[in-house]
Amino acid sequence: MSLYLRMALQNIKKNARFFIPRILTEAGLLGCYFIVYTLYRDERLRQVRGGSYLPAFMFIGVVVIALLTIILMLYTNSFLMKQRKREFGLYNVLGMEKRHVAKVLFHESLISALAGVAAGLVFGCVFYKLSTLFICRLLGVETILGFYYISAKMIVPVAVFFLIIDAFAYVCNCISIAFMKPVELMASAHTGEKEPKVKWITLILGILSLGSGYFIAVTVKNPLSAIGYFFVAVILVMIGTYFLFITGTIFVLKALKKRKEYYYSPKHMTAVSGLLYRMKQNAVGLASICILATGVLVMISTTVSLYAGADEMLRKHFPQELYLEAYYKDKEGMERSIPAEVLTQIAEDAAAKNGLEIREVLQQYYLDTSFAFKDGVCIVDRSRSNMMDVVTIYFMTEEVYEKLTGEKLKLSGNDIAFCVVNASSSAENYKGDLINVGGTDYNIVKKLSSFPVESSMISVFAHYGVVVSDEAVLDRINAVQTEAYGNYASPLTERIAVKYADRQAACAVGDAVSDDMEKAMYRYVESLEDYNEDYGMHYFLDTLWVAEVDYSSMYGSFLFLGILLGFVCLFATALIIYYKQISEGYEDRNRYQIMQKIGMSQKEVKASIGSQVLMVFFLPLVVAGIHICFAFPLLKKLLNLLLLSNTALFVICTVITFLVFALVYVMIYGVTAKSYYKIVR
Amino acid sequence: MTILDVKELKKTYTGRFGGNKVQALKNVSFTVEEGEYVAIMGESGSGKTTLLNILAALDKPTGGSVILDGKDLSEVKDAALASFRRENLGFVFQEFNLMDTFSLKDNILLPLVLSGKKVSEMEEKIKPIAESLGIADILGKFPYEVSGGQKQRAAAARALITDPKLILADEPTGALDSQSSADLLRVFEKMNKAGQTILMVTHSTDAASHAKRVLFIRDGVVFHQIYRGEATNEELYQKISDTLTMLRRGGEIR
Repeated sequence: MSLYLRMALQNIKKNARFFIPRILTEAGLLGCYFIVYTLYRDERLRQVRGGSYLPAFMFIGVVVIALLTIILMLYTNSFLMKQRKREFGLYNVLGMEKRHVAKVLFHESLISALAGVAAGLVFGCVFYKLSTLFICRLLGVETILGFYYISAKMIVPVAVFFLIIDAFAYVCNCISIAFMKPVELMASAHTGEKEPKVKWITLILGILSLGSGYFIAVTVKNPLSAIGYFFVAVILVMIGTYFLFITGTIFVLKALKKRKEYYYSPKHMTAVSGLLYRMKQNAVGLASICILATGVLVMISTTVSLYAGADEMLRKHFPQELYLEAYYKDKEGMERSIPAEVLTQIAEDAAAKNGLEIREVLQQYYLDTSFAFKDGVCIVDRSRSNMMDVVTIYFMTEEVYEKLTGEKLKLSGNDIAFCVVNASSSAENYKGDLINVGGTDYNIVKKLSSFPVESSMISVFAHYGVVVSDEAVLDRINAVQTEAYGNYASPLTERIAVKYADRQAACAVGDAVSDDMEKAMYRYVESLEDYNEDYGMHYFLDTLWVAEVDYSSMYGSFLFLGILLGFVCLFATALIIYYKQISEGYEDRNRYQIMQKIGMSQKEVKASIGSQVLMVFFLPLVVAGIHICFAFPLLKKLLNLLLLSNTALFVICTVITFLVFALVYVMIYGVTAKSYYKIVR
Repeated sequence: MTILDVKELKKTYTGRFGGNKVQALKNVSFTVEEGEYVAIMGESGSGKTTLLNILAALDKPTGGSVILDGKDLSEVKDAALASFRRENLGFVFQEFNLMDTFSLKDNILLPLVLSGKKVSEMEEKIKPIAESLGIADILGKFPYEVSGGQKQRAAAARALITDPKLILADEPTGALDSQSSADLLRVFEKMNKAGQTILMVTHSTDAASHAKRVLFIRDGVVFHQIYRGEATNEELYQKISDTLTMLRRGGEIR
């Protein structure tokens, strides 16, 4: 064994306190990265029913974890180097040249990197298997036996990625050693740091950005614009958190120090001045912990809510189990709907054939068309329209509306009821009291808060709903758009909504029902005289059974990603806390001893330092809690956009996530505090 | 009046598993009268530090007793030990032991704060002490901003501020240059003239020559002592160095 290798091994053993977390960090991150990377590239998983969302979500995971990995590995590396500066200085003084130190360092890096990568791959392979089982469970599909997809194709890129980061860290270390003078390396004695000063600009900027971040989060009204604002708010809150941790805490502590009666008391004096210095060194680390914690909480609480709320979202989205509308083109190229009566017959036949009982078939007639909308006037002239003003309007007769909702509107003549189904960033929430279509004014006599035709698509265009008094009016409006748009005009939609007697039974034979209905529709149109075979037929079949798979696969993938990223963030948090405890331990040891010599009992000293440490570590958790509270309205709107409107569920998920996180946090604190007291004693 | 009475003090350190016994103090007895200024000299390993730790109630003797102002240290309960130390003893250390997070003023006030004194009372007390030690102008500064001599004077002020019965100084000039050492020793003399009892452990002949009495410790026993009498500092210095030469030769002094 060469001297360098022996020294490297010895150093790792001697500095196990720093090296073990470093190796564990690499192993943990590699494991997580391996899992997302393999899931992202796993061809077989894509073929699983509902597995199609997985790669896209996993790709997000690959990018995010790669970024976190780079940051965290360089952080642990710089921490390790900082703690060992004195050691390197000693080598220099003892006659080792810098290149020799670099050689020792090389062996150390190599050993710890290989250990980390090997451990990480084992960890990754084991947990990969578990994750596939978990994912199959989430997606609601049967587990595929022998579901193992581990090959060099997956392992090599992951291992190479981590080794490159290790190599980069090593090069950084060599550079920093090359520029260091031995005297500087040796001078690790505590020279005393300046008392931190309050930087007013940072303080004001911090308050402003945090305040505006919170303000945006609380006041955003429109769920669609919430997506854009969400990122703005996140960035503002992040900046605010960093700035306020850096200066806000110091500002408060300094103000406390100025109040003599408060400051000069046994309880406060050591705590206030101790915290003042602690905050200076730890502000950035604590702010990072706070942001990571907030990230974990947001990710897990939203993904859990979505997954848990999937059933309810389905129920809400599917009051009936099946929706169908179908179109074909006639010989003149005009688009026509298959009449609702025909569709009803087809649905009834298919149900009978598959042994299902239909409770009710609702027939919906409405016109679904688009206009450029300006101050209540629906403009059909394309040359005058601007894409940004386009709105989609559903027109429906009072009779149909009553059938669907059970509500009587009692409209007459040109009176209408109006509903903003979905406002958008482009079209303002229309507040006028009439709309004009084709030169006729229609008076809005009633505003509706919801409309029985839901848009299943998230659209950037606004959707309005209009209820007219009778079919004559509907025909008049239809005539306007048919004339203007010609072959591009929307046909009057004839749609059926089928409610089966037994929801579950319907889902069980759902695919067969869909098939039968498709065949029946083709038979119908082919029997028609003016059916234009060149254009064929198309239909929109929206069923509970297809949506069920879609929802569980989408939100299942989402949840898995949330949990995995949450795990990585938690891991990062634990690591930062651990290193912080250790570096603080070395600094506090001195203070501990002085205080005891001057006449504080061991108990008093422990209480004083313990309370400071406690405050420092629980501040991020408390602030993360506050962030979550302010983020809540915004997150709620985002979830609304995804059709989850069960606020109670979201509250419960958030609270439980927070409590679990706090528990884990306390556990991490407890474990790391032990190593802290070991150093201090 | 006797302030400190040390009787047949013994301290034995036992290695792990009971082996390797080291007798740091074999049998040390001496007394310190009120208003005295005593220096204890001895080489490294003579038991000086052990003695000081026991006097400061930081360590417990294996035998014998220490009586401070009529109170046996072994009878003070552990819980009350910290406050006992705070109220009766003042410390000056070689390495200053100032808290780097406190200004000099806060460092000096720390013992009073721990005793729960009022702010007005503290402010009143610190003024004359700071002025007599020549650090009134730099009270607002932090330890890293001032020189070693100033640090040590601040530490002395911290020791004085509780009006202790006894000041224990452990190599107070050990980390100072000669000019600062001379300044500090003058401060100690001034403190002693004002009636403060001081016990100083040192191996600097110069520092010891400022005391009124010098005790020599070797191999865990009080080996010899010199009283100043009417001698000047220079004469005492000569006597001490003669004694040290003799000690080093291993001679016996009768």
